[in-house]
Amino acid sequence: MSAIRLNTLVASEGSPVDLTVVLSAGLLLMLGLIMVTSASSEVAARNYGHPLYLAGKHVVFLGLGLAGLLGALIVPIRVWQRLGWVLYAVSVMLLILVMMPGIGREVNGATRWIPLGFFTLQGSEFVKLFAVVFLASYLASPTARYQERLSAYLLPLGLTGLLVGMLLLQPDFGACVVMMSAVLAMLFFAGVPMRYFLPTLFTGGLLVVVLIVLQPYRLARLISFTDPWAHQFDGGYQLTQALIAIGRGEWFGLGLGNSVQKLFFLPEAHTDFLFSIVVEELGIAGALLVLIGFSVLVIQGLLIGKRCYQAGFAFHGNLATGISMLIGVQALINLGVNLGLLPTKGLTLPFMSFGGNSLLVSLVMLGLLLRLDWECRLAPAVPKKTKVARNAK
Amino acid sequence: MTPAFRIHLAAFLFLLLMVGGAGRLIYIEMSEKDFLQDQGDARTIRMERINAHRGMILDRRDNPLAVSSPVVSLWANPSELPEDQQSLVELSTGLGVSVEEFTLKMRRAESRNFVYLRRRAKPSDADAILSLGLPGVYGEKEYHRFYPGGEIAAHVVGFTNIDDVGQEGIELSFDDWLRGKPGKKKVLKNLYGEIVRDIMPVAEAVPGRNLRLSIDQRLQFLAYRELKSAISQYQALSGSFVLLDVQTGEVLAMANQPSYNPNNRIQLDLSSVRNRAVTDVFEPGSTVKPFTVAVALESGLDMGYTIDTSPGFLKVDDAVIKDPRNRGVLDLGGILAYSSQVGISRLALSLNEYDIWKQFQTLGFGEVTGVGFPGESSGFLPNRRRWKDIERVTFAYGYGLTVTPLQLASAYSTIASGGIKREVTLIADQVSEGERVMNARIALQLQSMLGRVITEGTGQKAAIESYDVGGKTGTARKIGENGYDDTRHIAFFAGFAPQYSPRFVGVVLINEPKTEQVGGGSIAAPIFSRVMSNVLRLLSVPPTDTREAV
Repeated sequence: MSAIRLNTLVASEGSPVDLTVVLSAGLLLMLGLIMVTSASSEVAARNYGHPLYLAGKHVVFLGLGLAGLLGALIVPIRVWQRLGWVLYAVSVMLLILVMMPGIGREVNGATRWIPLGFFTLQGSEFVKLFAVVFLASYLASPTARYQERLSAYLLPLGLTGLLVGMLLLQPDFGACVVMMSAVLAMLFFAGVPMRYFLPTLFTGGLLVVVLIVLQPYRLARLISFTDPWAHQFDGGYQLTQALIAIGRGEWFGLGLGNSVQKLFFLPEAHTDFLFSIVVEELGIAGALLVLIGFSVLVIQGLLIGKRCYQAGFAFHGNLATGISMLIGVQALINLGVNLGLLPTKGLTLPFMSFGGNSLLVSLVMLGLLLRLDWECRLAPAVPKKTKVARNAK
Repeated sequence: MTPAFRIHLAAFLFLLLMVGGAGRLIYIEMSEKDFLQDQGDARTIRMERINAHRGMILDRRDNPLAVSSPVVSLWANPSELPEDQQSLVELSTGLGVSVEEFTLKMRRAESRNFVYLRRRAKPSDADAILSLGLPGVYGEKEYHRFYPGGEIAAHVVGFTNIDDVGQEGIELSFDDWLRGKPGKKKVLKNLYGEIVRDIMPVAEAVPGRNLRLSIDQRLQFLAYRELKSAISQYQALSGSFVLLDVQTGEVLAMANQPSYNPNNRIQLDLSSVRNRAVTDVFEPGSTVKPFTVAVALESGLDMGYTIDTSPGFLKVDDAVIKDPRNRGVLDLGGILAYSSQVGISRLALSLNEYDIWKQFQTLGFGEVTGVGFPGESSGFLPNRRRWKDIERVTFAYGYGLTVTPLQLASAYSTIASGGIKREVTLIADQVSEGERVMNARIALQLQSMLGRVITEGTGQKAAIESYDVGGKTGTARKIGENGYDDTRHIAFFAGFAPQYSPRFVGVVLINEPKTEQVGGGSIAAPIFSRVMSNVLRLLSVPPTDTREAV
């Protein structure tokens, strides 16, 4: 596998990359760019003096993200596998740095960002990916006999649990839920025995409920979410504005650029609530494009993972499914929030929303997914097939 | 469970949730669309007012007395203003204030979204500032009421407030006529209340109607100029001048002192706002003597009837009525010419007091004129059951009743028109028929007798070169703390020109002149003469001399 080079990537027969993934992600990225441009124009004109200021920034991050994607395409997957523990350590450090006074920046009561001058780093976006890489690496390591020994199962759980706990301190409940979902799904796919998995699933669910009930503001959000119109001037404001945007859309929307809610009525129209603006301007038709795009991308990602497992690449399979779950769960939660099915979270829509960190990490994940698929397809032999076959029984 | 099965399960679950999301979306569009759109419109669609143009007030020759001109009010949203010094310098220079002052003002208003930069600027000035293209600077179209006549016609025209609603004068009494109906339009506003786009006009703005007054600006100016110089010369408290068209009852000029500039009401003395010719009442004094004489003529006496006024005083009840000197035997015209108190008193005592009261009432005393001016006074006409002699006498020469200058002018125009009483009006082309309230012969006799006031009597200073005129002086003592005050007077002159077939009636009132001579003959009559001579020439009334020569 060390012989694999970039030139062979291009020169190999058939399509070197999974076209389904590229096309669905490309659709989401294009639609995202168009909609960010439209949704951010008024806010950008008012706050930064030029209607294309935020769209321009989005393009810059898109470029950076594509560079990251290319980078992920070049780097052999085994490098990531070896870096599992390192990335875990980096994650812990990132989360500690964010919480350090003078380094982390607090916005609206949450300390999630580290200003780096030209760029504000959002640790949780990277931590999500790193945690998945770490877990994929751990689960694929032959020495971790987690299927037999409870302690070997609890170790990665405890370690990722630590990251979850640190995310909660920020607090970043949304990222927590996304990470926990991906971790649980990876355990499930990796073939964790049900006697371990079901209690873990139950505990995770219970944890979410407890966290909601214990934090008054989360409970308040939940209550205002159940009846946003009764709280339309406080907790339910954003949701009612999002629902109004959706209600205006009908089948084909008001037309590109004609959103009313982006005229400052809907806060975060170009980030967390971009989907509402998609519905408002492009209608159900545009929204279905988004839903189809995510469905195709995530399911194809999961199927790549399946092929990796079948080809005997346990780490590849773990990582592909983990990444797919990160993207899929985040998209689901974001859409659920926009549609009033879930209480408001600070989660972006992957590939589409404005937000450098999210875009950068999403594109790196996309690159990883393509590389995983490519390595899996190119592999002539299946060195560990027997092991996989044993696992499956 | 193979890994493939687990993954397929997850993929299926994911797809299921996505389909659920699509279902939720379609459900919202199907069943909550109307509610959500209504909610949205309630937050974004607003009705905006379209300001309507207020009608002009014109004089009888279509010269503007009150005009609404479009202006632009400039306002700013301080938080949107540019930060750089150069823009601020440009903006403050355009506004005509120093940068420091401007920056300070904006900093004070920082927390607000709205602060006026300049109210009601000229459109060209406003455009110059708006064309700088600075963010956060906005213009709003309004109408500003401008009064080209300034203080000259201020009392008649009145003024509007900042919301374009009439407050005084014609602006108030004809507000409904002048006022436009503001239109409405539907607009889309963003969260900051800025109009993003017009959706549709709901109601067009209907401009108000113009109103043509009976006032002739040229005559108004003449009257005002003479009155103003006289008031300052005599250092009088106030004064009024009323000029009526005899044939129509139209008010051609109505001037008062003190006056004010309706275009600049920052320091407005409220006492200067009153249209005193209509709102203030005075005891008319000797100016009513012709009407007493008219009663005498109606009772059957003729012009040659004489009364001996010797010895120049007369004791009535406990009072002594005096003439300045013993005038001896006077006919009725002589009594008027020399304004003999004794003569008119003797005459009054020989007449039925009710006939005099009835005469005064018929001529319009004690009632509003119907000119429809806000705050018009009706004056006071006493209605006594039993009259003492002194009351009968003083009433006959103008005490114990009050009139406005306009009422007095109206009464004199009945004499001038040959006995026809017409409703006075301030509006052009609104001439009423009029009714006969005085025998034509008696009116003519009065005209001739009132000519003698000018030619030989107390009103010689009212004479006009080349024209014969008629009129009557009056000097009324004002009531002070201890009854009638010997030091404070009102000087009247009421007259008409030309003497025969008169076309104009003029009434002059000077309140408390601080001069040696306080009588109507020396104070008020010259003003009448100066104004009326100009009026006659301006309107090309043929001089009496040439008419006689033909």
